[in-house]
Amino acid sequence: MPPTVTIHEPADLFALIQAAQRSRVPLCHYGVAHTGLGHRPPERHTAFQLAGEVMEHYERDFTARVHAGATIGAIQKALSAASQFLPIDADDDLTLGEVIDHNVYGPLRVGYGTMRDLLLGLHYADGLGRDIHVGGRVVKNVAGYDVTKLLVGAMGELGVVHEAFVRTYAIPSEVLGVTLEVDGAASVDGFVTPLLTSPAKPVWLHLTEEDGTLRLGLAYYGSSLANTAQFEALKSVIGQASGMKIVASRAMTLAEDAAERATRRGRRRQARTLVKIIVPPASTGEAWEALRQSAWGSQLRIDALPAHGVLWVGGDITADSAFNQAVTDMARRFDGVRVWHTRPDAGSEFEPIAPLPPDWAMLLAIKKTMDPHGLLNPGRTLVGEVVPT
Amino acid sequence: MTLATRDELLDDLRGIVGPAGLLTSPDELLVYECDGFSVARGTPRAVAFPTTTEQVAACVKTLRKHGVGIVPRGSGTGLAGGCVAFDGQVILCTSRMTKIESIDLADRVAVAQAGALNVTLSEAVAAEVARWNQNHAELPVGPMHFSPDPSSQRASTVGGNAATNAGGINTLKHGVTSNHVLGVEFVLPDGEIVRTRTAALYESPGPDLTGLLCGSEGTLGILTKVWCRLTPKPEHFRTVYTVYTLTFDACKSVSDVIAAGILPTSMEVMDGRMIRVVEDAFHYGFPTDAAALLLIEIDGVDSILDEQLERIMAICRANGARDIKHCSDPKRRTELWSARKRAFGAIGRLHTAYFTQDACIPRSRLPEAVERIVAIGAEHGLKINNVFHAGDGNVHPIFFFDESNAQEVQRTLEAAERVLQYCIDIGGTITGEHGVGVEKLAMMPRMFNPATIDTFQKLKATFDPDAVLNDGKLIPSKTLRIELHRPVSPNVPGGALCPPHHPPTT
Repeated sequence: MPPTVTIHEPADLFALIQAAQRSRVPLCHYGVAHTGLGHRPPERHTAFQLAGEVMEHYERDFTARVHAGATIGAIQKALSAASQFLPIDADDDLTLGEVIDHNVYGPLRVGYGTMRDLLLGLHYADGLGRDIHVGGRVVKNVAGYDVTKLLVGAMGELGVVHEAFVRTYAIPSEVLGVTLEVDGAASVDGFVTPLLTSPAKPVWLHLTEEDGTLRLGLAYYGSSLANTAQFEALKSVIGQASGMKIVASRAMTLAEDAAERATRRGRRRQARTLVKIIVPPASTGEAWEALRQSAWGSQLRIDALPAHGVLWVGGDITADSAFNQAVTDMARRFDGVRVWHTRPDAGSEFEPIAPLPPDWAMLLAIKKTMDPHGLLNPGRTLVGEVVPT
Repeated sequence: MTLATRDELLDDLRGIVGPAGLLTSPDELLVYECDGFSVARGTPRAVAFPTTTEQVAACVKTLRKHGVGIVPRGSGTGLAGGCVAFDGQVILCTSRMTKIESIDLADRVAVAQAGALNVTLSEAVAAEVARWNQNHAELPVGPMHFSPDPSSQRASTVGGNAATNAGGINTLKHGVTSNHVLGVEFVLPDGEIVRTRTAALYESPGPDLTGLLCGSEGTLGILTKVWCRLTPKPEHFRTVYTVYTLTFDACKSVSDVIAAGILPTSMEVMDGRMIRVVEDAFHYGFPTDAAALLLIEIDGVDSILDEQLERIMAICRANGARDIKHCSDPKRRTELWSARKRAFGAIGRLHTAYFTQDACIPRSRLPEAVERIVAIGAEHGLKINNVFHAGDGNVHPIFFFDESNAQEVQRTLEAAERVLQYCIDIGGTITGEHGVGVEKLAMMPRMFNPATIDTFQKLKATFDPDAVLNDGKLIPSKTLRIELHRPVSPNVPGGALCPPHHPPTT
């Protein structure tokens, strides 16, 4: 396998793409945690990665200009010098570019949204090796098409992001983490909207299972006074709900909270098989229970974001075609979609995404526009003929 | 185009939308010759009012068959000339597509036709919450709403909000429209109907087409349906009302509050001229000798708001606020925000011709920027009023002009262009929430490099290869040139159309 090229300067990235145009050898960059997402790269390709750092931190504006090659760990460290942070659930070794490309998010989405909400602008290289600047440094901007959002989750197939402007937030003076025990996953479905629309709305919410016990983790960010007030409000909501009880609460720092969220995520990255199922939020618990009742039920490791209808399903199981069919059927049953993340097959047996979103034909057309020679992560997910409209 | 062809076109459109769904007489069309940016004017050939997505698609196919350009329009409350028809184009107005198809509180998603009014949607959601709680008294849900709150929210449509990615007063904390849109349905220029969602999903794998359509100003597709994210409606507020002798100090207060890591719901500034206009019109009791009034609102858990309030007031005091009042009384709060939202109505009482700029700048540059904008106006002999979303750095200088004076129109446009260039130079953008429309078209090549403009044009061509959909808006058109600086006739200075057969102005 050829060595991975590390790009330090945008000019080198443009040159790399322009060279690929001449040689017709495609370029691949799947990141460090998403190599199982989409079809495998073509046999003949040039692998590359970006390096970088925080370029400018506009502390008073609560925004920052960051190389896409900067790791999340480096970004958080740089921002913390001004008591700020980037509120995204992503491992420290991922680059910001990888987070954008794969729309990486986690429980914190409840309080802060996804990269779609945190990104203000991008500089990226298109499939012709040109430097494209969209969005900007300011917090509100509707000049031109919102290509910034288009590229979130585009898996590096439309362009290579090399610089980004992001929102930052103040590090809270205290984090109050709370753990609830839940009688059954389905009971969460009716609980989430009352919780999120109450004064007890947390900044994150995560459903997990340990030793057969379901736990709903959540947290509040704020002053000690504020967190205490929200905790009291939570007790009131729990008092009205059935099948829930508070089993632990702990005041901590943001760093401790981040470490806890990272531990929860870390289990997923170690899984031999991992598929993400997206369903309407109020069906999360029902889908969880249906998965448990499936033929693989007892072997599955599941965790979920009940506020957003996301289930991570996997474990030390063989991802054969029967399992693929089962999770695909499960997604269809709830009008949802499933996406393979880690699979021990050859990478070509299962469709990466099923069922395909209804706008897929339009996305294929956009791929042809932004990467006309098909050089950027070709064949990863945006494959197939564009149906003439 | 021959008259016979035109009649055939109108007959075909009537066949789709019915006689009551088509306007063709000059007096009826007058209403549709401009939006809130009255410099740009053009009379549509006709205005059609489809009521379903299928009717929109059928109208589009018919207009294509007759080779007629299409301009989508909601309520026409835009402020950049984005829904003005030129060169015989026909307006497809979605304002009669008002159905709210579903409100799903459990998933926190509402699906509305594009013509549903912003405020109507939130009212319908409130009613649904009340119904829900009657049946779920044991575990009720809290108030919810569709959060985007442009000043036009009583008149503007959900589709128009999405098509322009509308902002508003509360966007500082709660985000702009695209943050609250989960999916859209739209009609392509060949009549094909595309959806980016089919269920209440909060994620769709792959590139974010919904995000691209939001703010595309009707140039890529005609939005017909919107999947709206419903969020908690804040119930507890504190509103701070501060008065300054210098506008600079008000802006410095805004910058310092942001820098302190406080995230209010909104921070709005009115300058002295604007205070006097509003006070003359509505008599709220504002001090007419003040240079600036800063309204700040915070929302959240009731018991902790006072702590934040004290921090904010201390910052305002340190920046020389001469008067600081606060309230949690809903009646007074409503009055204060009513004053802010009625500011443009107040201007309309005094001036018939004005337009509002919409640049957005880094918030830390606000104090100097507002001074510079006023200075640019003075250098052009113009009076500028300011009322703006200070917390976002979104400035709204309002330029007044005499539309019967072509030279003054020209001078005003030149001053506006200088303001925008200044904002670009300090790291800002030409539009924070109003959109490009035709108003800021000339500034696009200054804002974006040629490769980026080329990308925009290619994206446009991917959706609309024949440039029939709102051509000449948002990005420079290859087939239609709209020239704001040249009079279309002696009676209408500015807002002129220079089609290709006319020599373009340089």
